[in-house]
Amino acid sequence: MNSSNQKKRNFQIEAFKHKVVVDPKYADKTWKILEHAITEIYNHNASGLSFEELYRNAYNMVLHKFGEKLYSGLVGTMTLHLQEMAKTIEAAQGNLFLEELNRKWNDHNKALQMIRDILMYMDRTFIPSNRKTPVHELGLNLWRDNVIHSSKIQTRLLDTLLELIQKERTGEIINRGLMRNIIKMLMDLGSSVYQEDFEKHFLEVSADFYRAESQDFIECCDCGDYLKKAERRLNEEIERVSLYLDSKSETKITNVVEKEMIASHMLRLVHMDNSGLVNMLIDDKYEDLGRMYNLFRRVPNGLPTIRDVMTSHLRETGKQLVTDAEKLKDPVEFVQCLLNEKDKYDKIINLAFSNDKTFQNALNSSFEYFINLNPRSPEFISLFVDEKLRKGLKGVSEEDVETILDKVMMLFRYLQEKDVFEKYYKQHLAKRLLSGKTVSDDAERSLIVKLKTECGYQFTSKLEGMFTDMKTSQDTMQGFYAAYAAELGDSPTLVVQVLTTGSWPTQPSITCNLPAEMSALCEKFRSYYLGTHTGRRLSWQTNMGTADLKAIFGKGQKHELNVSTYQMCVLMLFNSADRLSYKEIEQATEIPSSDLRRCLQSLACVKGKNVLRKEPMSKDIGEEDAFFVNDKFTSKFYKVKIGTVVAQKESEPEKQETRQRVEEDRKPQIEAAIVRIMKSRRVLDHNNIIAEVTKQLQSRFLANPGEIKKRIESLIERDFLERDSSDRRLYRYLA
Amino acid sequence: MGIQKDRVRFNVGGKIFDTSATTLANAGRNSLFGAMFDENWDLQSGHSTTEHFIDRNPDYFAVLLDLLRTGELYLPSNMSEKQLYREALFYGILDHVRSAKWGPFDGNRLRLARSVTGRAPGDGTAIRAGPDGGCCVAHGSMVHVYDWMLEVHPPINLDYQRVNDAGWIDPESIVISACERFGTGDGGMGLFSASTGERRYKFHVSHENQVKSYTAGALSFSPDYKLFSSCKGRSNEYGIGVWDQVTGKQIDFFYEPPGWSLGEADKLQWLHGNNCLLVATLFPRKDNCYIGLLDFRDKSMPWSWSDVGAPITDEKRVRDAIAMEESSSVCVVNEYEDLGFMDLRRAAGSVRWSSRSRLMKGKMPDEPCYPKLALHEGQLFSSMNDSISVFRGPDWVLTSRLRRTYGGSICDFSIGGDRLFALHSEENVFDIWETPSPPII
Repeated sequence: MNSSNQKKRNFQIEAFKHKVVVDPKYADKTWKILEHAITEIYNHNASGLSFEELYRNAYNMVLHKFGEKLYSGLVGTMTLHLQEMAKTIEAAQGNLFLEELNRKWNDHNKALQMIRDILMYMDRTFIPSNRKTPVHELGLNLWRDNVIHSSKIQTRLLDTLLELIQKERTGEIINRGLMRNIIKMLMDLGSSVYQEDFEKHFLEVSADFYRAESQDFIECCDCGDYLKKAERRLNEEIERVSLYLDSKSETKITNVVEKEMIASHMLRLVHMDNSGLVNMLIDDKYEDLGRMYNLFRRVPNGLPTIRDVMTSHLRETGKQLVTDAEKLKDPVEFVQCLLNEKDKYDKIINLAFSNDKTFQNALNSSFEYFINLNPRSPEFISLFVDEKLRKGLKGVSEEDVETILDKVMMLFRYLQEKDVFEKYYKQHLAKRLLSGKTVSDDAERSLIVKLKTECGYQFTSKLEGMFTDMKTSQDTMQGFYAAYAAELGDSPTLVVQVLTTGSWPTQPSITCNLPAEMSALCEKFRSYYLGTHTGRRLSWQTNMGTADLKAIFGKGQKHELNVSTYQMCVLMLFNSADRLSYKEIEQATEIPSSDLRRCLQSLACVKGKNVLRKEPMSKDIGEEDAFFVNDKFTSKFYKVKIGTVVAQKESEPEKQETRQRVEEDRKPQIEAAIVRIMKSRRVLDHNNIIAEVTKQLQSRFLANPGEIKKRIESLIERDFLERDSSDRRLYRYLA
Repeated sequence: MGIQKDRVRFNVGGKIFDTSATTLANAGRNSLFGAMFDENWDLQSGHSTTEHFIDRNPDYFAVLLDLLRTGELYLPSNMSEKQLYREALFYGILDHVRSAKWGPFDGNRLRLARSVTGRAPGDGTAIRAGPDGGCCVAHGSMVHVYDWMLEVHPPINLDYQRVNDAGWIDPESIVISACERFGTGDGGMGLFSASTGERRYKFHVSHENQVKSYTAGALSFSPDYKLFSSCKGRSNEYGIGVWDQVTGKQIDFFYEPPGWSLGEADKLQWLHGNNCLLVATLFPRKDNCYIGLLDFRDKSMPWSWSDVGAPITDEKRVRDAIAMEESSSVCVVNEYEDLGFMDLRRAAGSVRWSSRSRLMKGKMPDEPCYPKLALHEGQLFSSMNDSISVFRGPDWVLTSRLRRTYGGSICDFSIGGDRLFALHSEENVFDIWETPSPPII
């Protein structure tokens, strides 16, 4: 009876209701199925489940407005399972802890994926419109709250991770794969979990570790070793990040190592006794220097520290170099030392400092500083060039010539008094050209082109004029001999170089008396030259010429003597006399006495070149001396070159003179600069004029403020400028 | 053997379907098929001959399976679109249906897809296309929301005050701006859920640390989550307010400079390349037109134009304006649908009107609607009475015209989610224009 009653009720037709309410028991039943499935999934027992059925059930719950029940049920069930998992993890002993955590994390992830598959419809519809956390994110959050942040796991996890890293730092092997998985888990839970639960502590512990370690190292290592160790530590940390940490941690951990191992010990490292930066520089330790550069570059103020020490060392050694009295004796050696020093540092900057511009600038400014400490640097550099262009470049390839010239130009750039260099250069070039000593015309011209690009047309126009004169003279001589060939017969050969006044460094000199046959020839040339060029004046620079003489000595030894014009005049006198006193020679030739002394000295006192004999025998020339042809003169060579005794370097008075001429030449340049500036500015105060003039002229020389002031005064006197009537410091330009 | 393994058999509501795993893979991992055949569920192993039962309607399954096979959607006329959507949602492939339904937007290939009769009592003020193909229509004090399936969602209102503008922040959120009701704090601006119509928060205007009631006008949004609105308060709160879309907090306010109009602006347009906001206040809201670019960083107006003081004729009267960042110019339109241009790189001079023939002049409808402009991927759209013109090219030549005889003048239109929505003023109806999917060959 009972059963039939129930059956009856089953068939009962219910009254129509406006609202269709689905049986809450239906919802409970469906949820039980799903809950059971979730448990089975967590128990690795999912193979017996029907995906389609579970999906349909979850769909139905959402469809019939039980989304909230489904969602809260999910939260509850998952929380329970995670708490179970947390207990198992907590129970894991020692080393197994991380492995258990990793295993459970993998299990949870897999389960979460499957749960999300079942609840996909809820994830897509119910969750966004009710602003709930999506299933996947919810699963991560619950794992974080119930496992990672459980009181018995949180600190244990952190301590375990830090301990493993510490072990690895002290050389033990750890399971990096496991580390990577655990760290990856923290990152998956969100960057804040990774940062708060791991990274923050990791950085603190690392800072302590490296602070202590760097203290140990610095006490017992030399600078090079310390840097090697620091570099290794830095690379280890970078590798650690790439192996198992978040790549965003790299800058943070390297900052820690940099700060503790480098920044804190920077000065001590650089100045370390016997192994610091200066020693590395002296010994060309490219590897150590490179390491220092690369490490210091990473910390604030690192490179300036290296640069400052290098600069002060460079200035100090440079200063010693240019003021070394030994070095000053040989200008070529002096310049070669500068070049060597430059090469040395160029190489260091290239190999160790990755061609850093700021280091190159420091190098340049240091050179500029000490080269100009010695006022003779311009002269020496010109002498170096002279030496190279006279003989030094023989057998050297064109490229190497260029290299040497480029290096010289580099030194030239450092000079403040470029006009002084120009003066000397002109003198030396003139000598080279006139004596035909220059080895390579190409090299000469190449250097002039370089000077031109460096200093402008004005600087080299006269030098170029000298070359033009040489060329024109050749043509002139050809013309002369073509016109007078018949007439001249077997008279001596005359080669005249016509030098344009102003282009050449001529000294006012008195023409000496030439031998009769020569002066006749000279006259012929003069009339030929003036006949073709009207309105010109020729004056003979007998102090600059050379002559080749054929001489026959006592026992018939024939020699060809290569001598200066002065020497030629002297020797020619002995064609008609056996003995001549100093006075007689002086009267006959009218050679200035200082030149005459030098010329006689070289004819009579130099061993192996003494074509004359002197009484009394001595090294110096006295006014009472008498001279004879040295009949016993012998030489291995047919051609004998008799030099003139000249100091290669300038003598003190000559130096004074050159200096004075330089100063004189500067005056018009300073005045021109003042006028140019005032013409455009109209009114300017004293300090600004000084500044602008200095700036305009600095490519040629460093103008002396006192001299500028004098020039201003001179211009005021000549009514180019006037002082302002109210403000005496102001100058006005008068048109 | 390989073919055998690839084969999958479904029993859907009693009907057998044979298909391949590769076809099902087109559904993606986030679908029922993707989950079902994931290795976790251990379904594909070995039993390639067993069928998988799904308790759903087989007819719609057939349509959807065909969609997965071909990428195209074909629904027989005797089947319901709504039911198809429901089934697609069940399988998790609703997005596939949406993207197969219409093609990428091209103003010259548009076809009228549907007309929807609205349910609002008054005239429409604005229609706004949503990012995924839905739209919202503002009528009086109500905003009706339609998703891309053109299903109506619960309507939105802000204290039942008259709505001035509306806009989509994302497919789930709509902002509406409304008139204030003095003394009550009603009106202003609010952010609503598009699916439930629930209000998330209201945007406030503070002046000297006091919250003021205000009327919010035109709206604009920037990609860095800022929201701009013209604001008209009771005293000093005239100008453009800036809020954070995420937090709803006011972050800036550009006060209206004397002699200029910002608080009652008809149109705001954020220019991301210039980091400036275009603000246009136009006739008939004001006697004169004011168009300017605002730079909020230094509160300056780097570019501005106004017709104050110029002799005004109907031909010269600007009815709408739009900035075109690519050509650094501002396009304006008069009531005869003549386009005019101004250079944004030079301080504003005069409008260079293009001399298009005035086809419209002289045959005005009884209830004219003034032109509105829109820009979409290099195409310029201009509505005029009952048609929309499409312009393109360096000289903005007319390339197409969309017209429909039913519904009267177009009072507003909007482009978004690869659709164009046009709202008519006489009949309570709006049209949806779509680009058909490309031809088969």
